[in-house]
Amino acid sequence: MRPEPGGCCCRRPARANGCVANGEVRNGYVRSSSAAAAAAAAAAAAGQIHHVTENGGLYKRPFNEAFEETPMLVAVLTYVGYGVLTLFGYLRDFLRHWRIEKCHHATEREEQKDFVSLYQDFENFYTRNLYMRIRDNWNRPICSVPGAKVDIMERQSHDYNWSFKYTGNIIKGVINMGSYNYLGFARNTGSCQEAAARILEEYGAGVCSTRQEIGNLDKHEELEKLVARFLGVEAAMTYGMGFATNSMNIPALVGKGCLILSDELNHASLVLGARLSGATIRIFKHNNMQSLEKLLKDAIVYGQPRTRRPWKKILILVEGIYSMEGSIVRLPEVIALKKKYKAYLYLDEAHSIGALGPTGRGVVDYFGLNPEDVDVMMGTFTKSFGASGGYIGGKKELIDYLRTHSHSAVYATSLSPPVVEQIITSMKCIMGQDGTSLGKECVQQLAENTRYFRRRLKEMGFIIYGNEDSPVVPLMLYMPAKIGAFGREMLKRNIGVVVVGFPATPIIESRARFCLSAAHTKEILDTALKEIDEVGDLLQLKYSRHRLVPLLDRPFDETTYEETED
Amino acid sequence: MAPAPRHPSRALDLQLRTAAAERGDRMNVGTAHSEVNPNTRVMNSRGIWLSYVLAIGLLHVVLLSIPFVSVPVVWTLINLIHNMGMYIFLHTVKGTPYYGVQFTASQKFLTITPIVLYFLTSFYTKYDQIHFILNTVSLMSVLIPKLPQLHGVRIFGINKY
Repeated sequence: MRPEPGGCCCRRPARANGCVANGEVRNGYVRSSSAAAAAAAAAAAAGQIHHVTENGGLYKRPFNEAFEETPMLVAVLTYVGYGVLTLFGYLRDFLRHWRIEKCHHATEREEQKDFVSLYQDFENFYTRNLYMRIRDNWNRPICSVPGAKVDIMERQSHDYNWSFKYTGNIIKGVINMGSYNYLGFARNTGSCQEAAARILEEYGAGVCSTRQEIGNLDKHEELEKLVARFLGVEAAMTYGMGFATNSMNIPALVGKGCLILSDELNHASLVLGARLSGATIRIFKHNNMQSLEKLLKDAIVYGQPRTRRPWKKILILVEGIYSMEGSIVRLPEVIALKKKYKAYLYLDEAHSIGALGPTGRGVVDYFGLNPEDVDVMMGTFTKSFGASGGYIGGKKELIDYLRTHSHSAVYATSLSPPVVEQIITSMKCIMGQDGTSLGKECVQQLAENTRYFRRRLKEMGFIIYGNEDSPVVPLMLYMPAKIGAFGREMLKRNIGVVVVGFPATPIIESRARFCLSAAHTKEILDTALKEIDEVGDLLQLKYSRHRLVPLLDRPFDETTYEETED
Repeated sequence: MAPAPRHPSRALDLQLRTAAAERGDRMNVGTAHSEVNPNTRVMNSRGIWLSYVLAIGLLHVVLLSIPFVSVPVVWTLINLIHNMGMYIFLHTVKGTPYYGVQFTASQKFLTITPIVLYFLTSFYTKYDQIHFILNTVSLMSVLIPKLPQLHGVRIFGINKY
């Protein structure tokens, strides 16, 4: 996951010997040094970038992904920070044990003190002593629709975040940089809301049954046909919950004797589904095609462990956009590998459907590939469609099989009718079938916002992870105290951000994660950027040593590339 | 300072994760990486070895600034405190930073550090007899539990539960 030490600022895939030979598929070209990018950008005339083919034509557009290495001083100081917090944690635990300090966390009753302990004190060390101190940055209750701006209920704590009290104030108009509202469909006005309200009056809110019994509405059938058309696949099936889509359908597809090759940073739903299935799981390094190819080769050559029989199935699990890193999967290479080694591909487009691609059809559209190459296309309606639920798309036989064999289809309640209508309306809007060009504008606005925001942040000198085109923007904080400080300072300035630390990220790589939206106007983004700039100076977050030459008076266009001075 | 032999431990990480998955290990709610023991990653993180050495250096400077202790005593103290700390955190407190896979790069680092410290201490104490006995006993107490044969072994039933 980490780039090679040596100061290279962009990902450079390690070219191990033996992975590439004559006549075989070569791994896709990556813009590994920005100097080369600048030269190539200068060489290719403006406007022709989209059609530059590189390296056998696998990538129709340049793939710019960068994960700048942690500066050594910052890493050492982060450990010092955690060390100090740990020491104080031990001290506070000691005080709590000897009743010098009030003990807020759960303990057994007096009568049960001699039993086997119910609460594992040591395992909750981190929660008790680190997480609790900055807990006010999470679980903030919002009381309006999570659009570009949101209202947050103000709360106070008088015992250092062990309990909260609501002051009764509502902080209005907080700029929302945390909701997965990529296309701006989280609204309570407009055609989607009117359609959903109409259907609510017609069908009610509950379905009261599963799809197999009597909960299969005509709306569900309509939605599934629409989803299939949207994705470009033969058939699709929808489920009530995105997490349950993954965790309940992977066990239906693979079982014992099958092999799952899963990316290092896959979401918990994919991991849970893989573990529930009982298949053997092997993990390849994040977005690293050499690692994946090596695993595929070893799997086919050596077969199952001990018996050496061939695997029944090999399933590659990847995501479209990884929401913690902001990276996009190298789909052309994955598909090339899958075809070469005859494996199956399961693509989880939770964050990328609607958010990537010129027509918003996801990462397959973004790379200009054929949807039939992906065997199982999974996605959720939660992010870009402003609804809830998930879908799986693929060949008709696959979907028919899943209708009877998936736990989610057989036991879980089907989607609620107003939610279905919201999805139908928003999907038609994105496809342009509602007669307006609103969908196309939203998709374009999101792409512009993404480029602009990422570029401005990099110019300011923050370390930003991920791909140039990904609307998920992680800004590195590193030190534990800065996690709390950043969240609170931004809220003081009326901007709501999501900050993430250990264990959701590696121990030193805590970050703030911005999710851009088509609902954000340029003014909103400029306000947010100004505040982030201020907070960055206040907290000294501008770690990047690869400063960008700032944009001059060039109007925004998609052909601008980074020029770095090294 | 970045550890070059990171790749062998990664290959082992793959194997151990396969083993873990085949055993059907518990769910990790709220974690990014699908591994059972996040502590394995911490020892391979960027800058941790440098921080470790700096921490020992800081302790050394703190001890040196106590006015009435001589240099040999300081070095012996550093050796003893470091080994005691290592013993407590790695061999008393339960939970595995290695998850059963031997000979990782961080394991080698953690074995070599007390040995290097021992050499330096022996030099600065001018091989005095009492210091030698103390330092050697302390070194043994930290090296022997690291042997692969002693993984999971509990002598006299101490710390069994």
